[in-house]
Amino acid sequence: MSELWRYFLLFLGAALVYNILLIRFIALCPFFGISNRMETSIGMSISVIFVMVMATSVSWLAWNYALEPLGVGEFLYIPSFILVIASLVQFVEMVIKKASPPLYKAMGIYLPLITTNCAVLAAATESVKPGFFTKLNIAYHYGFLESVIYTMGVAVGFSAVLIVFAAMRERIELAPVPKFFRGVPIAFMAAALFSLAFMGFAGMFKL
Amino acid sequence: MSDDVEKGAGKRGLLRELTKGFITTNPLLVLMVGLCSSLAVSTRVENSVFMGLAVIFVLTCSNIIISLIRRFIPEQIRIPIFIVVIASFVTIVDLTLKGFFKPVYDRLGVWIPLIVVNCIILARAEGYAYSNSVGRAAMDGLGLGMGYTCVLLIMGLFREFLGTGKIVFGERALVDLGSNSMPAILIMFPGAFITFALLLALLQWHKARSKTGEEEG
Repeated sequence: MSELWRYFLLFLGAALVYNILLIRFIALCPFFGISNRMETSIGMSISVIFVMVMATSVSWLAWNYALEPLGVGEFLYIPSFILVIASLVQFVEMVIKKASPPLYKAMGIYLPLITTNCAVLAAATESVKPGFFTKLNIAYHYGFLESVIYTMGVAVGFSAVLIVFAAMRERIELAPVPKFFRGVPIAFMAAALFSLAFMGFAGMFKL
Repeated sequence: MSDDVEKGAGKRGLLRELTKGFITTNPLLVLMVGLCSSLAVSTRVENSVFMGLAVIFVLTCSNIIISLIRRFIPEQIRIPIFIVVIASFVTIVDLTLKGFFKPVYDRLGVWIPLIVVNCIILARAEGYAYSNSVGRAAMDGLGLGMGYTCVLLIMGLFREFLGTGKIVFGERALVDLGSNSMPAILIMFPGAFITFALLLALLQWHKARSKTGEEEG
């Protein structure tokens, strides 16, 4: 039971307390690029969740069974993880193109950009080097299940914020905004308030 | 922002490649790429400096290499090749900082490996270096890198000075107001968004003003 509880906390911590967008500033480019329409945000969220979980699983295996035993992890983790991600993205792109052409059209250039979605690489790096960013407990080592759950938390946190923010931006478009703040600047202001709200989660519990 | 590049008018074309990165195609303010790292590390001037240098180095080197080998890259697999080139330079920066500047490395943390996926670098590789000569690509990388660093420095100065009342570089405090009642929100997460929103609004204001100025004159 306590094990289950720990997994739950890990998930919640990754999704809310250390929310990847608003607390850690990872993956802001797709966040601002794609969040002006609800439909595309949802499509983006689904593909990010999928790519992220897959990428972390493969990266974790690569780290623990190839890079680390060979002693080359320090030098090769960046290129090998990013290659894993790039090929996965290519795969997702092909699947979406076949399964839903309208969605493919709507996602446009953002789909290949998941490759450069920092969140995916960040989650993969953190699952093999926990605390690399949050400086929590460097010596700790995630098991396979833990890293998958952690990544799922990260991805769900990303998607939730992306979708809520898209709804907010659709509303802001209609609002009377000071002239020079129209468009992107006001979106950043909104993100600031949003981030302020998320800071309320900080310190709720430790990862 | 563009004061320090207005010297020397020789080789106009190359110079223009260099200077365009500051205002007209500033990666952060105009192209809106590479936001993540800039917002996250600009809490301190020192971080801004090191992050800026790292990005300039990676951007320039990868632009040069990609421009050099662009004739041998098959179009279908160009993205993985770009990424491998970029990742090698990022690994160099990663290990150098880790070896010689440990405190800075600890603070910048995950942002150094994340330079690989910094949209600026891949976008320039794809959009510029892949179709331009070596000299131009190098200038482009240098210019955009410096434009990035400029914005980072402005944000770092604004946030650190107003947020903590002092500017610390290394061990020493360069400026210290000795005040305890500064708005600490600026160095926290929302502060980054607010600072960047203000910068963007300033740019829009500047654009609107120069446009009306042209119409009047």
